[in-house]
Amino acid sequence: MSEPQADFEPKIVAFLCKWCSSAGSDLAGVSRIQYPANATPITIPCTGAVSPMYILSAFNKGADGVLVSGCHIGDCHYIEGNYLARRKMHLTMELLKFIGLEPNRFRMSWVSAAEGAKFAQVVTEFVDDVRKLGPQDKLRKVVSQ
Amino acid sequence: MINIQDIRDTARDMLAKGEARMVIGYRRGTRGMLAEPAFITDPAQADDLVWDPTCFNNLSLYLVHDKKFLAHMRENPKGPVAVVAKGCDARSIVVLLQEHYFKREDVYILGVSCEGAGVVDERKLAPLLNGERPSAAAFDGDDFVFTTAAGEKRLAAREVMADRCLECRAPYPKEHNLVFGEDKTGRQLEAPFAALERFEAQDAGQRWDAWSQHFDRCMRCFACRSVCPMCYCDECVVDSITFPVTAGTTAEEKATRIKWIERSATRSENITYLMTRAMHLAGRCTDCGECERACPVNVPIRMLNNKMEREAREKFGFEPGASIGGPSLVATFLDSDPGQFIR
Ligand code: SF4
Ligand code: SF4
Ligand code: FES
Repeated sequence: MSEPQADFEPKIVAFLCKWCSSAGSDLAGVSRIQYPANATPITIPCTGAVSPMYILSAFNKGADGVLVSGCHIGDCHYIEGNYLARRKMHLTMELLKFIGLEPNRFRMSWVSAAEGAKFAQVVTEFVDDVRKLGPQDKLRKVVSQ
Repeated sequence: MINIQDIRDTARDMLAKGEARMVIGYRRGTRGMLAEPAFITDPAQADDLVWDPTCFNNLSLYLVHDKKFLAHMRENPKGPVAVVAKGCDARSIVVLLQEHYFKREDVYILGVSCEGAGVVDERKLAPLLNGERPSAAAFDGDDFVFTTAAGEKRLAAREVMADRCLECRAPYPKEHNLVFGEDKTGRQLEAPFAALERFEAQDAGQRWDAWSQHFDRCMRCFACRSVCPMCYCDECVVDSITFPVTAGTTAEEKATRIKWIERSATRSENITYLMTRAMHLAGRCTDCGECERACPVNVPIRMLNNKMEREAREKFGFEPGASIGGPSLVATFLDSDPGQFIR
């Protein structure tokens, strides 16, 4: 495992459902809530559209942590997208843990469009947790400088 | 105990009466004791069929090949293909049927029960034969009998049986048109997922130490994908190479074509490949073990499949290859699915 570094700023890739968590992140912004700027948001139409390959690919391309966030159970605009995502993400997470990736590098949350404060809290906690783990170098592609 | 003559007679009859246009089974190969897949269309060749502990190929793969070949040739011949299928192979056929890959009437399942045994693992056998190369293998009760130049060698089947057979929960083809041998479901040679659990008992660091080496070893020959009946997609997500770049390919086409994975056999790319493979087989892999057997560098691929299989079973109550009509693992959900990991 890599040593925690004082000046380490984790890179987080955040897959945010456009109907809820993405709007929630907007609300956090317009409400001027302070939270770390480490997350790169990628808007997705629904958590159900997140392929496990997105997550593997994010780690492959250098993410230190990956967040998937969508509508609360029962609130998915496609009715069952987040139920399907819950299953797929559980499997993906278990597989990543199985080969020895730190469980705290992957996170999933339900954040509605009204939960700006919750979004800020989820990101803050996640960044803290990933910072403790240091850079993710297990799945990262090695590229020559 | 299965009498091979019964299988031969059935095959000959079916071909002679036109009840099957081909019988896919096993025959004696040219490499020592190993059986090999046989594609029989002439009733006179039905006597070539064999059934022994080296019949490890999952022949449902060739149903997929047949379907692809016919589509390519634009042919639509009448009559089903009869196929010899062990328990795991028959479950693969069920998955293919569940996914509407072909119709039930297109395949005639000649089920064979593994009874008290299973197939041999050559890697376990080799050290026990003192360098002798066996020319034949046979079932005999709880033993396997190998014929070598030095005479017959009798070994307890469970000593040289493939791990997946030791752990097999259902060594019997539940879905079949005809079945040979007795149903010995419930025989407990080893607890299901035993190897997986031994591995999982280690901490994350140890697991990574082991897997990082496996990932380093993989050379991306794609044998594991080629041998799997469930890897039937015409275009695989890991093959960006199948995107033909011609003089007419625009820069935009090149730029927007997502390249999920590089062709280079480096650790990071191998991880992406093998993990994606395991995900795509979750709820579909029936643990026939062919991928692991085909791997030239001993990547314990089954363990990834088994991990998904056990999660599916324990968390979602899902059993791959159990029913033709049911939904697939990731196209369905239950209210009781675990969600405690979500904040
Ligand atoms: S895991 Fe083994 S069989 Fe599969 S691509 Fe890698 S080397 Fe080939
Ligand atoms: S993944 Fe391997 S064990 Fe599973 S069905 Fe495919 S070849 Fe068989
Ligand atoms: S629409 Fe937000 S999770 Fe489905």
